[in-house]
Order: sequence, then C-alpha cells, then structure tokens
Amino acid sequence: MVKVYSIPDCPWCEKVKKYLKLKNVEYEEFNVEEDDEARNELYKISGDQIVPVTTIDGKNYVLSFDKAKLDALLNL
Amino acid sequence: MGIYEFKVKTNRGEEKNLSDYKGQVLLIVNTASKCGFTPQYAELQELYMKYKEQGLMVLGFPSNQFAEQEPGTNDEIQNFCKVNYGVTFPLFAKDAVRGEKAQPLFKYLVEQKGFAGFDESHPRASGLMNALKQKFPEYLEGDSIKWNFTKFLINRQGEVVGRYEPTTTPASMAGDIEKLL
Repeated sequence: MVKVYSIPDCPWCEKVKKYLKLKNVEYEEFNVEEDDEARNELYKISGDQIVPVTTIDGKNYVLSFDKAKLDALLNL
Repeated sequence: MGIYEFKVKTNRGEEKNLSDYKGQVLLIVNTASKCGFTPQYAELQELYMKYKEQGLMVLGFPSNQFAEQEPGTNDEIQNFCKVNYGVTFPLFAKDAVRGEKAQPLFKYLVEQKGFAGFDESHPRASGLMNALKQKFPEYLEGDSIKWNFTKFLINRQGEVVGRYEPTTTPASMAGDIEKLL
C-alpha cells in the first residue's frame, strides 16, 4: 500500500494526493501533525520532519511533489 | 489587565492560561506559513534551545492574515512544508492577530508596545515597506501588527518590555533576552 505522510494546509501534500488520485493509485494518508506514531515513522524513513513524503516500502521515498520521481517510485 | 490573565488555545484545541508561564521570560511571536522559506523559525528554535534551561519560553501564534510568502522571497520558495513548523516550542491555534477580530492577547500586546518603525538596515525592510504600501496600506497605520514574525519580549514580572518588527532577526535579540534571564 502506498503511504503519504502529510499535514493540513500543505499545498504540496494536496498536489501529491491529487496526482495519485488522477493515476488511480490507492494510498493511505497520515496526518503527522496529529498522529505521533506516524510522525515517528516519518522520521525513521526520511530523518526529517518535512512533508509530503510518499513511500511503499518505508525505505525508498519521494520528498515533496516530484512527478518524475513519483512515477519512478510507483512504476507509473 | 496583565499578561497572565489571558487564555489562549493550543493547536490541539486545549485552553492554556498564560499564568502557567509566570516567572519565565516570554518571547511571543505571530508566525507564518509552515511551507517554504521562513528562516525565522530556525532562529526562534535556536533561541529556544539555547535559553530554555535558563527560563526562556517561546510562544508561537500562527495566523493566516498575511500573504503566504514574505515579500521578495519568491525565488526561494521551497516545495515542502514542515511538521509543526519545524519547532518544538508551543504553538497555538491559528487565529487573527490584527484588526477587529484580533485575539485579545495581541490587542493587549500592541497597546503595551506600539509600532516604532522597521529596522531599515534589514535587507528585506524596503521590500516589506513597498509591499505594504501597495497591497495593504491600512496595515501601516497605528500600532497594529504589520506582518509575520512580530516579536514581543515579556520579562519575568510579566511586563511587555520589547517589540521587534519582522525586520529584526530572532538571532539579534539574544543580547536583550540574556539581560532578562
């Protein structure tokens, strides 16, 4: 399952989610401002508290909204 | 009415009495978007880390009353956002800081310390001034909050002893903070 770590009022997070919807990619969203556990996961993955972060395996990830990198990560 | 009589709301919706911070030195600041290039967050966080053991508390009050970007920084937009603005000091619920709808705390702060002009030596001072003149001329009137990152210093007795405009960097406030600690 694709995971998207995001926060409210984050235009780049919205762009990622919109793009995934457009490509019919199912994803699970985590609001890391409220969800402490997900925030720890995010920190483990990227070593930072910057969003959006998109990942499948929790190892490889794409930071921000980068179409080319998202396509590569998700084989789109 | 003193500063310790105010109640504010945390970013998780809980009520907080400012009297809980009695006896500490307070740096109260209205903050901006958690996205893009906002270097003052990093400096505020540095001040907080450096002086919190000695009794400094930084309190951030986000508002969406000002344009998202600082004027003159369009070339520096970064396409990510920071969780909790990348800071560990307390953040409060997003609310107005200027105008009729301003939260009472900020009405009080600007009454205690009026506007005494921007620091003209800051590289963004003239850009900020021009942007305000063109887009929000009414913001320049009176003592109201002019822009994001207006900072107020409160001493251990609860008196508002300093007001620093967005054109004063948090790092340059270190000396004034040390005097109060």
